[in-house]
Amino acid sequence: MEPNTGTAETRSNGTASDGDDVAALESLQFTDEIHRLISATTTNNASSFTALLELPAPEAVELLHSPESAKLMAAPAPNIEDFKASFHFPSNSGLIERAARFSLFAGVGNNNNNTSNSPETPSNNPSANPQKAVKSEPAETESSEPLVSDPTVEKRCIKRKDREKKVKGSTKKSKTAMNESSEDAEKLPYVHVRARRGQATDSHSLAERARREKINARMKLLQELVPGCSKISGTALVLDEIINHVQFLQRQVEILSMRLATVNPRIDFDLDSIFTTESGSLMDSNFPSMVMPLVWPEVQVNGNRQQYQQQWHFDALQQAVWGREEVCNNYITPENSLLSYDSSANSATLHSNQMKMEL
Amino acid sequence: MNPQHLNASSLKSRFTRRFLRALTKINAQKPISSSSPREIFQRYGRIKAAADKSMANSVRSRRTWSRAMLWKLRSRSYRQASSGRRSAVKTSTTTSHQAIRKKTNHEKENKPTKTGEDQVGFVVQADELRELVPGGEAMDLCNLLDETAHYIKCLTTQVQVMKKIVDFYSL
Repeated sequence: MEPNTGTAETRSNGTASDGDDVAALESLQFTDEIHRLISATTTNNASSFTALLELPAPEAVELLHSPESAKLMAAPAPNIEDFKASFHFPSNSGLIERAARFSLFAGVGNNNNNTSNSPETPSNNPSANPQKAVKSEPAETESSEPLVSDPTVEKRCIKRKDREKKVKGSTKKSKTAMNESSEDAEKLPYVHVRARRGQATDSHSLAERARREKINARMKLLQELVPGCSKISGTALVLDEIINHVQFLQRQVEILSMRLATVNPRIDFDLDSIFTTESGSLMDSNFPSMVMPLVWPEVQVNGNRQQYQQQWHFDALQQAVWGREEVCNNYITPENSLLSYDSSANSATLHSNQMKMEL
Repeated sequence: MNPQHLNASSLKSRFTRRFLRALTKINAQKPISSSSPREIFQRYGRIKAAADKSMANSVRSRRTWSRAMLWKLRSRSYRQASSGRRSAVKTSTTTSHQAIRKKTNHEKENKPTKTGEDQVGFVVQADELRELVPGGEAMDLCNLLDETAHYIKCLTTQVQVMKKIVDFYSL
């Protein structure tokens, strides 16, 4: 699996013996790509809530160098442009394009197949993953892909990284460039944690860094969920905001249940009719008929109550999730609509239909 | 809200169904003629418990917070039911209570050894969040954020539905 795991690695750190000039060439190619990527990835939006909740958060890219792939460098260089052309990625997946390209590199090298422009080449497992990941990317609003979180891979990568650090070549510039890209590259479907310069490379700190990335991803989601949180910078303040929001929601539940306790339910509405009938047909047929005879049977009861409830309803309107005009109309003219009504049973079913529609 | 779109098994519809059923049950129990604050407060407690219970039941046991909430409600109802009489039920629940508490305490003890290197400095807020989210005491930060997100989503659904019910009743 070693060559396959090496497929997802970049070859910017050309520390191979023969790879100095090739590495320089590669690094030149990389730097402008990296600049493109950085400008592209900064425009990413946060993910959809459900997508992240169902999938674990992506982790940072681990860009390693594999000594075996050094010999692959020379051969598939002319294929880069063809690959680029054959990939149709969404705008924010330039990084995946690069990764796919490199995976095709190694795939080419592994299969000794230089004519690898065909789409069959990404039949290798690691290169298939980016493609799969890319295909599912447009389906999801953010690239929070499930990770191939392979601890054995990480260990091997750690060893390789140590080796690479010892052999360090002339490509310091490209490495720092890759550092930047690795920070943005949270979209690749592999578990890659980059060991930056001067940082520990033991598995503990790697795992911790991965964990921190996960936490940051979830914080971003939460920021999206809580209104008014996206402008706040700094995780502590965001957490405070989240806590306030949760408390606010809990208080609201309490207040609403208090209101429900005080409100006197005169209508025993028919649950079965609400939920067993076909929603579509019922709503369609009843919606036009609902508009006019919207009855407020409470209005019949007594005048004081009417005043109170009208006021209350007016306040409730301000915050109602509702948004239909007939409510306002009926507020203005309650008496007119009332006159057409006698039986509370009818009103009950109509109200239940109304409830059903709104829900 | 689009009247055409009613997902038969969405969280909202599940919650609404259960909550309305519970509400009608509560209303059927006591005809509301009394307006004494005590009665209203009792009703309020029951309604709130019914809301939480129906929300937790709509989520089943898929989430830690729903499990914790269900457990809390059940133990509370057991305690209330058995307050008037001697009960083997109470003792059994208390022993299970202790068992669960022990488990969470063990997990909690393991946590401080790790917080030194793992936490990035949000310990205070994390603890506050743990208090707010049911069942949050025994979770690491990562899962806690997950649970918080789902909990917020469910709470907003709950608030929306209850608001609509209140408006509906007040019409």
